[in-house]
Amino acid sequence: MSPGELIIELFLMPLVAFVVGLGMVLMYRRIGARIQRRVGPPFFQPIYDIIKLYGKHTQISHGLIHEIGIIMAVGGYVAAETLLPVPGMSGLADKGGVVTLAYVMMIPSLGLALGVGQCANPNGSIGISRALTAMLAYDIPFILVIFGAAYVYGTTNLADIIAIQQQQGPGGWGIVQMPLLALAALLSLQGIMGKQPFEIYIAPAEIATGPMVEMSGKFMGGLFVMQCFQLYTVGVLYTTLFLGGGEYWLTFLPKIFSVVAIPMMIAFVFPRYRTEDVIRLLWKWPVLIALTGLAVVLR
Amino acid sequence: MTPLDQLLALSALTVVAVWLIGNRQVTGWNATILYAAQGVLLMMMSDLGYGEVQSIASSLTFKVLGHGLHWRFDGLSWFFALITIGAAFLASWFASGEWGQRYRAAGGSLRLFHVALALNVFSMLVLLASGDLLSLFIGWELVSWASFLIMALGSATATRYAMRYVTYAFAGAMAVLMALVMVYTRSGSFEFQDFRDAVPAMSSGSLWMIVILFVAGFGVKMALIPFHLWQAKAYAETPGPGAAFLGAISSRMGLFALVVVLVQLVGVERLADLQLVFPFFSARDLLSWLAVLTLIFATFTALRQHDARRLLAWHGIGQGGYMLLGVLIADDLGSAGGLMHVFNHATYQAVLFMTVTAVIHRTGTSDLNKLGGLVTRMPLSFVAMLIGIIGLAGLPPMNGFVSKWLLYRALIIDGSPLLFLGSVVGTLGTILSVYKLIHNTFLGQLRLEHVEVEEAPSSMIWPMMILSTIVFVTGYFPGLVLDWVASAQAAVGLPVLAHNLGGVPSHKGGLDMIWVVSVLLAGFGIGALVFFSGGRSKRVHQLDNYAGGHFLTAETRYQYSDNFYPGLMHLIGPWYRKSFRWLERGFVSTVDTLSQAMQGFYRVVHPSFYLLVAVVSALTWVVAR
Repeated sequence: MSPGELIIELFLMPLVAFVVGLGMVLMYRRIGARIQRRVGPPFFQPIYDIIKLYGKHTQISHGLIHEIGIIMAVGGYVAAETLLPVPGMSGLADKGGVVTLAYVMMIPSLGLALGVGQCANPNGSIGISRALTAMLAYDIPFILVIFGAAYVYGTTNLADIIAIQQQQGPGGWGIVQMPLLALAALLSLQGIMGKQPFEIYIAPAEIATGPMVEMSGKFMGGLFVMQCFQLYTVGVLYTTLFLGGGEYWLTFLPKIFSVVAIPMMIAFVFPRYRTEDVIRLLWKWPVLIALTGLAVVLR
Repeated sequence: MTPLDQLLALSALTVVAVWLIGNRQVTGWNATILYAAQGVLLMMMSDLGYGEVQSIASSLTFKVLGHGLHWRFDGLSWFFALITIGAAFLASWFASGEWGQRYRAAGGSLRLFHVALALNVFSMLVLLASGDLLSLFIGWELVSWASFLIMALGSATATRYAMRYVTYAFAGAMAVLMALVMVYTRSGSFEFQDFRDAVPAMSSGSLWMIVILFVAGFGVKMALIPFHLWQAKAYAETPGPGAAFLGAISSRMGLFALVVVLVQLVGVERLADLQLVFPFFSARDLLSWLAVLTLIFATFTALRQHDARRLLAWHGIGQGGYMLLGVLIADDLGSAGGLMHVFNHATYQAVLFMTVTAVIHRTGTSDLNKLGGLVTRMPLSFVAMLIGIIGLAGLPPMNGFVSKWLLYRALIIDGSPLLFLGSVVGTLGTILSVYKLIHNTFLGQLRLEHVEVEEAPSSMIWPMMILSTIVFVTGYFPGLVLDWVASAQAAVGLPVLAHNLGGVPSHKGGLDMIWVVSVLLAGFGIGALVFFSGGRSKRVHQLDNYAGGHFLTAETRYQYSDNFYPGLMHLIGPWYRKSFRWLERGFVSTVDTLSQAMQGFYRVVHPSFYLLVAVVSALTWVVAR
């Protein structure tokens, strides 16, 4: 591949991710609406929201680090998208791999944590303390899953992982080869996406305790953009590891949308757990399932 | 004189010169210049670091009781010496300005401090240059005493823990000495080569004994579990720049000695053959698990500290686990990760200790519950600490990520999911802990008494900036360090890592940090564009704020700092006490069983009969000869 093509890919991949991510946010809201027997928002609502947030008159900044935090949160995901191969574009897949991706995905959390810390609001700090604790909870099963996948495929290169699965057809997909790991991954996705029942650190609706507490205008807009990227990243990563990636966008898009739809549906029928219960739950079931799955694949 | 002679001579001269100059402000600057000169001499031996020369000998040799003692540098020694001299140079620079003035005004002696530092450097160079087991032992003893000297300069707490260290070090030295005697009786000399040749013929039992004795002796310095109880408090209370130096390199001398003995002389394959529980658990697995337990245990102890220096010191113990684990994996990736982590850890640990010392210099405390919001007052120190914690946590784009990536990759290839899990748990715990560090120091609310605080003086800022630049640049271009690591690997007979400037090329999933970091920076650029495309924001004062329906005012200030992770501690808090109690009970009951057995032997069951048996068998033995 020529450098020019690569540069174009590197620009296109985050852009595509953003557009698809907007679709996922719309789907999330529509699913919520259906479950609660509402009509739900119009098709372009996510875009209206972003325009509204960025154009707000009152925007409170608590200092440079507050702003840099939001920039890191969005920028970290923009970089992560270039490590995730999609149909027709593999970007930097051969230069990073799945372990690097897992760590690049932690940068937005750290950025957000820095930004919120600068707000000097104790309730924001409490939210971050909960968010990092939750990260410790869901990353342990997640990292076991990544280990298992990398071991089974014999490579950390995501483009190769897709190629190996596609050669063997649906029977060779990760979900067939290692169903227990796929299940553990699905459970930890719920935590990574920060959806109910593991969303106490965001606590979006009723408590002014969480990362959002001091975010207004474009700060909130940045978090909205980040959420689009986050949903997309999670969906594509799962599809890449377990559902054979995608040869064409036409088959790829249904896969990634259905992957993120599952946690979303669970989210709307569950209440939330307290932080210690989040840890207890995620350290027990997904970890047990993942360890059993590893025992099966390592034999 | 060979270049090594010149280096050792200059290093000894530094000690003398600093002693002669005495307790004056210029002492520090002179020492700094002398370290720079040592660095230049080391650079003249840089062929070692790039594998062009195998070793450079010292012309100093002498014989004790028929055993030749000699000294030489190879790729591994050069790599460690580079870190030692670099750390001493920057620590001494840091100590030369306002810090030195304050230290002297408070009654401290700059002569003692700088002599102790220079002695540390000299003894470490002697240890690194050791060419046989006897000179290794001599160097080891020198290093032990020199580090005691610098620790004993600190407060009463430091002295108490330094005394505890001496006890450990004595026991460790005895263990090393016993191991040496065992080696000598089996190979007939103290030469490395003879030991290596004798290893295949040794029985598993005696090799087990030798390995355990060496690990116990050198593990004390690394603060490997169960020898970890002295280090954190002793390092934390050492005068600031001294702590930065000790934290950066001192405990790595234990790793150096272990690498020489376990990897270069015994060989990791032989360790893997020493089965403890056949066929699952070998000596190598035992040591790997010790390393991972040290990592997890120390990291989660760090998470509970309220004092910034203790938090860092505990992390120093924990990160040693990564290095030992990497070396024990012993393939090209893993051992490169372990050795590279020595360099990376030295850079970020030094910068972190320096920022904490700068904060103490300005505010008078390192208590994490009495700080906060300093980012507006000390922005450069904040940047240095931010870069340092990203390195310590091992996230891209800093250098800590590269060495950990190598380790993870090796563990995946090796197929050891539980060790992998253990090392990731260590990383996650570190992220939690370092966020607490930076949040409680620099973020959140600025306290009233700190409103007038100024940025750290330039004598402190410069070393901090240089180190943070190194942390970033060697993360961006890890090949710079991997060159040295590769020749260190070659020197001890490990498989050499194939690498390029950006990292590791591999068709099974490599790493190219130049691309990863570039795309990350570009991502931040796009993030900034998106951010600044929004409407204008208004900067507000930190008290122009509300919390849970109440306005925060100067009267009701509230910095969220104590018990930072209540949810986590609610769950795992009891484990700490239990694990300590469990460990203690294990020791106590072992000793108890032994003493009961002894009692049974001597008192309860017919002592005279046993005495008779012993005397008779002794007599028989004498007569039979």
